[in-house]
Amino acid sequence: MTNIPMIIMLAVLGLVGVGFYALLATRNLIKVIIALQILVKGGLLAMVLAGRIQGQVMVGQSMALTAIVADTIVAVVGLALAVQVRKHHGTIDLKQLTKLKR
Amino acid sequence: MASTLILLVIGLSWLGALLVWWVGDKRSALQHALAIFFSVASGAASIALIFNASSSTVINLDAGGVFGQFTFVADGLGVYLAAIATVIGSLAVIFSVNYMHGEKGLGRYYAMVLFFIGGMAGLVLTSNLLLMFLFWEITALCSYALIAFHNDDPKAVAGGIKALIITQLGGIGLLAGALILYSQTGSYDFNQMIANPGIINPRLLSGMAFGCLIAAAAKSAQFPFFTWLPDAMEAPTPISALIHAATMVNAGVYLLARFYPAFEAVPGWKISVILVGMISAFISAIMALFANDLKRVLAYSTISQLGYMVFAIGCGGIYASQFHLLSHSVFKALLFLGAGAIIHSVGTRDMREMGGLGKKMPFTRFVFIIGALALAGIPILNGFWSKELVLEAGLTGGPVWAYAIMLITAGLTAFYTFRMVWMVFYGKPSEKHIHDAQPAMKVALAPLALGAVVAWLLAGPFASLLQSTLPAHNIHPASTMEVIVEVIKAPATYVALAVVALGLVSWWQRENLAGVSKAFKWLGTIAENSFGFEAVNKFIVRETQATAEELRDTQTGLLNWNIAGLLIGLIAVIIILVMGG
Repeated sequence: MTNIPMIIMLAVLGLVGVGFYALLATRNLIKVIIALQILVKGGLLAMVLAGRIQGQVMVGQSMALTAIVADTIVAVVGLALAVQVRKHHGTIDLKQLTKLKR
Repeated sequence: MASTLILLVIGLSWLGALLVWWVGDKRSALQHALAIFFSVASGAASIALIFNASSSTVINLDAGGVFGQFTFVADGLGVYLAAIATVIGSLAVIFSVNYMHGEKGLGRYYAMVLFFIGGMAGLVLTSNLLLMFLFWEITALCSYALIAFHNDDPKAVAGGIKALIITQLGGIGLLAGALILYSQTGSYDFNQMIANPGIINPRLLSGMAFGCLIAAAAKSAQFPFFTWLPDAMEAPTPISALIHAATMVNAGVYLLARFYPAFEAVPGWKISVILVGMISAFISAIMALFANDLKRVLAYSTISQLGYMVFAIGCGGIYASQFHLLSHSVFKALLFLGAGAIIHSVGTRDMREMGGLGKKMPFTRFVFIIGALALAGIPILNGFWSKELVLEAGLTGGPVWAYAIMLITAGLTAFYTFRMVWMVFYGKPSEKHIHDAQPAMKVALAPLALGAVVAWLLAGPFASLLQSTLPAHNIHPASTMEVIVEVIKAPATYVALAVVALGLVSWWQRENLAGVSKAFKWLGTIAENSFGFEAVNKFIVRETQATAEELRDTQTGLLNWNIAGLLIGLIAVIIILVMGG
């Protein structure tokens, strides 16, 4: 019953599902960034899992480590942008931020 | 030896492009000097390359993976076109010293010109179809950038974009051809296909043949894609001479000539080529009759002369078409640079505001008339010999009606050429302050004028160069003397001369023929609207923009909707993977 890959797989699906649901549902820019973080964590787990299944544990883990670094930068830049957006437009509600359209 | 020279021809121009850019616009004298040095050096290398021509692959770079081998071949067709590109390129650069004096953005100008020269040489020297496509797009990019050089002028920018879009459309045809070649042979090297077209599935071969015809028609401004060339005349005049008369527009003719042995047997291909050439030559000659902008007249006549070359290829006259290409490059570059000297001095392109310039610009008049006579096909100038060869090829290899229309076009050519010369140099003088061509302009014009008079003496060596390095093209070697005798003996020559003379006489007698010209007024109205092709262009542009406006509604700008779309796509991919797996 205690099948570790199966548990990890469920965790991956759970994290990705929560991430996508949050992205679909939220209109708050901060929450969007948090949702992206959750989504990426699911992806990281999936990488480690794939490495284990393929028998290349090192490759999977090092890819995951690299992705963690990149992901942190994305989060920091995203938050900084959110602050700037709040300063310039006075809101972080996505529905009111559709100025890019025209 | 040949491999070093090829690298020098392409490398020197591109190195020059980088250096001129790097030097910066503050040191414009150094920029002029560097541009001249690198273009002339590259020209010298390409002339040396002519003496090292061979039909074997001389450079073989392993580009890896699907790109295969980037191969270069220095055969007759390639080396002489590379020589035209670099030599006329260096003359255009020399001319620019006076023409572009004091302009802003010289670095951008020279960098693009040199980048173009290298790209054009690469286009004709490579034997890898994918690499050829890349060079093809490099030349299109430079053409765009230089047409829109005066980027604060909306007309120039619009002309540049139009040229870019239409030549890109043709580029798709070439890319499709490259992919078909790769799928069938596993490499992009087209020489094995030219030697043995049977290795490609006949249906795919015919797709490739018509793809290349579309590519050639778009690049060489042939029917029905010719509308971009007149609008490209917003470019600085040395650019019109180099890119839109002497080199880039020849790429299409080169492509057809290069692949002729492979596509010859494709049903319907030859007659399509003949039709494209014939229609382009005829209708653009009519448009040239009615145009009043000096550069537009030259642009229409370029389309018309390119039509002659395409027509000759359709009739199987590879040698005739390439010889006419050589003649045309020389005399049309001469005419454009001459026109540049006139425009630089007068400050307008409208021929109705010129008139009587002959006395004030004797040197320009002298060289311009040499070029005009060559264009009209008057004996002993180079245009005469090559045009006669083209018409002879048409008589032996093509349908009679096509030959007849090409003959009429030769008469029209003489007519509009004399109209142009008359409107510019004779008639009532204007009151403006006019100066003759400046020194650097003269340096560029003189060799071209000499070339227009004597270039036909190269007919024999040129034929043997093509014959010895292009085994598949079936070109008969002939000495210059034999070519001369052949032309003089052929009755077709005298028919053509009579038609040309008729064109001249009807210009002379235009006062007495006023009734006739009145009867043709309706034709003028149609010609000024470019036979409805402008309207078709505008319709396509309008419809594309309207569709884009309609589709704008699908772009909500809301993140949630975009994520939903992404998710649906992801699920679709997973389903396909599961079903396929």
